[in-house]
Amino acid sequence: MLWPLFVLLAGSDEAAPSFAPLRAVEPWLLLARTLALTAAVLAVTLAIGLPMGLLVARTDTPGRRIALVAHAAPMFVPPLLPALGWFYLFGRNGLIGGEASAGLLFSDLGAVLVLGLTFAPIVTSLAALALWNVDPSQEEAARVVARPPRIVARILLPAILPAIALAAVVVAALTLSEVGAPMFLRVRTYAAAVFARLGGVDFAPAEAFVLLLPVLVVALALAAVERRSIGRRSFAVLGLRSFRSAPFALGRWRWPAAVFCWSVTGLSITPLLALGWRAGLRGFADLPLWIGGAVWNSLVPAAWAASAIVALGVVLGPLLSRRDRAATRLDLVALLAFVAPGALLGVGLAAIWNQPETAWVYQTSAIIVLGFVGRYAVVGVRTLAVACTQTPAQIEDAARVFGAGYLRTLAGIVVPLHWRAILGAWVFAMVFCLRDLETAVLYYPPGRAPLAVRVFTLEANGPEPVVAALASVQVLLTLALLGFALGAAAMRPRAHDDTSVRQRQPEFREHAGAL
Amino acid sequence: MTTLRFDNVSLSFGSTPALSDLSLVVESGEVVAVLGPSGCGKTSLLRVALGLDAPTRGTVWAGATRLSADGQVLVPPERRRLAMVFQDLALWPHLSVEAHLRFVLSSVGVPKRDQEERIIRMLEQVELQERAAAHPGELSGGERQRVAIARALVTEPAAVLLDEPLSNLDLRLRRELLGLLKGLFAQRRMTAVYVTHDIREAVALGDRIAVMNAGGVVAVGAIDALRGSPEPLVRELLEGLTWSGL
Repeated sequence: MLWPLFVLLAGSDEAAPSFAPLRAVEPWLLLARTLALTAAVLAVTLAIGLPMGLLVARTDTPGRRIALVAHAAPMFVPPLLPALGWFYLFGRNGLIGGEASAGLLFSDLGAVLVLGLTFAPIVTSLAALALWNVDPSQEEAARVVARPPRIVARILLPAILPAIALAAVVVAALTLSEVGAPMFLRVRTYAAAVFARLGGVDFAPAEAFVLLLPVLVVALALAAVERRSIGRRSFAVLGLRSFRSAPFALGRWRWPAAVFCWSVTGLSITPLLALGWRAGLRGFADLPLWIGGAVWNSLVPAAWAASAIVALGVVLGPLLSRRDRAATRLDLVALLAFVAPGALLGVGLAAIWNQPETAWVYQTSAIIVLGFVGRYAVVGVRTLAVACTQTPAQIEDAARVFGAGYLRTLAGIVVPLHWRAILGAWVFAMVFCLRDLETAVLYYPPGRAPLAVRVFTLEANGPEPVVAALASVQVLLTLALLGFALGAAAMRPRAHDDTSVRQRQPEFREHAGAL
Repeated sequence: MTTLRFDNVSLSFGSTPALSDLSLVVESGEVVAVLGPSGCGKTSLLRVALGLDAPTRGTVWAGATRLSADGQVLVPPERRRLAMVFQDLALWPHLSVEAHLRFVLSSVGVPKRDQEERIIRMLEQVELQERAAAHPGELSGGERQRVAIARALVTEPAAVLLDEPLSNLDLRLRRELLGLLKGLFAQRRMTAVYVTHDIREAVALGDRIAVMNAGGVVAVGAIDALRGSPEPLVRELLEGLTWSGL
């Protein structure tokens, strides 16, 4: 992450960055507009995600767990896919669309709603995970004296504030970086404008980089918010102790709550179902002609990148959980790479690797792997840090005291002890790599386009049913991975998983929110 | 067995001192019980001995080897040939009793052919032969304590450190394990530092008792020598003995 930035800042004689583009008014107006859009998306995600989180985690709303799983699905796919789904429903020629609905969809408001519904599950999931881990005695003590709304406002929400802040940072970062959905919906955003400077005929990476500097400042601010709001609790946000208490009985509000919960869930999965509907049999039948090696191009680099990310996590996670200074700094860099626009990393990587002597990297899928590792390393590092925080440091100390060196402690204690977290980190890193569009689209080698990029490039000119079928394949691929992860998480723990030292709770599901 | 020596050791975390100018010698084959109120630095002393924390000032020696000095860990924990019974035991939940012992034996380089014999002997000594395949989650409190003790002793370390190992047990188990420890220490002529806040345990196990307060050693000696100490904390601690009738 830092190296590409340094290369771009230093520049060569011919390509020294000129700050002229930033002296114009337009970039600043566009930045203000993008920040306003981000704020609006954030408001929508909080308005949907917080009540959903409360309902699924702390109440007896019927079907809440299934609702949570279904509601979460869109956050694991590129936002372009739900945008396409809504288009197939509400576009001018959509299933239930017309001029008015298309006008609404292809507007700022449409973009806010599409992105808001896609990212709301991030808030829901993080809030729910945090609520599951609030010590029930806090809530019970309040129940003696206060009514439920007051308990929510004064006890539960303040208790999960770090998780809410974390969710807000992730949503803001993803919205700021998003390229596919705004471009498709014809909404001008800063990241899309920068992407145009890189993807168009007038390729100007130095200018694109200069244009990205203000967004880098915003990313730094987001990283600072994350640090400040969460601070030392960073890895305990999702709770170190899985306390459980009986869900709050909603009484006569149970069914209205269910209607809200399932309506939101319906809104979440409708665009994904619409993709399958639009593809129809024809789309899937024509798929072999269009899909090429896209699935393979997605899976192989994602798997390599996920493995490298997990390896980084296994090394840095335990150190980070102990607040090692060097690991904390590296974590900050990894966080910055995640919250900064993908284009920034993309431009930097191109500046470094697009040289004749490194063509063996830049012209192969290795460059995609490098980009993924740079952007999503934080997934592995944070997941393993959460897991290690859940076991006492003495578990590792004991190994060292009894003669085991670093590698032996890693192989004999850390890895077997946290295999679920490692598996979880691998799956989530894989999902992040699969859903990536904005970094991979900038430097995928010829003929090696991943599936998300293939959908993006075909969307303008390809046959609609085929584009919808490709998008459906992306959704199914992601769901299959997540199903595998859920299956692994549900595996019956062995007797020894129940530790003597400290009750180790089913930590796996909590790693989804490690970011 | 080896001599452990702490020369003017200080340790602080930021502006908070944990140990201040502490000096103590544990002779080879001697058991020193370290006694003191909560927060007086007993556990910090052990962590410095193990190399898990570096002393801010001062030197830690094992025989003629400098282990740590003035902010530096000179010999890493895994090379010190010390063993520890941790306060909350720190057993590895994914390993069976036998695997615990095998892991530490292979970590210190004991050849495989010798491991089996040592494991069997150790398990017999702590009476865990029947529980060799069990994992920590399947053991009772007393059995877990025995595993922690077996793990500490099976490698025949230069010295063993014990951090309030019996503090969470009931009286009957405590007596039983005190007997076991006493027997093992005598049989192996162990150099040991036994940290406790219970004067009865200190008297039962320690050849000498070091009384700590506010990060330093305020008195050290055999129990009879301590009886004459003018130090108020020592007198207060000895009152516990009077109550227990020892």
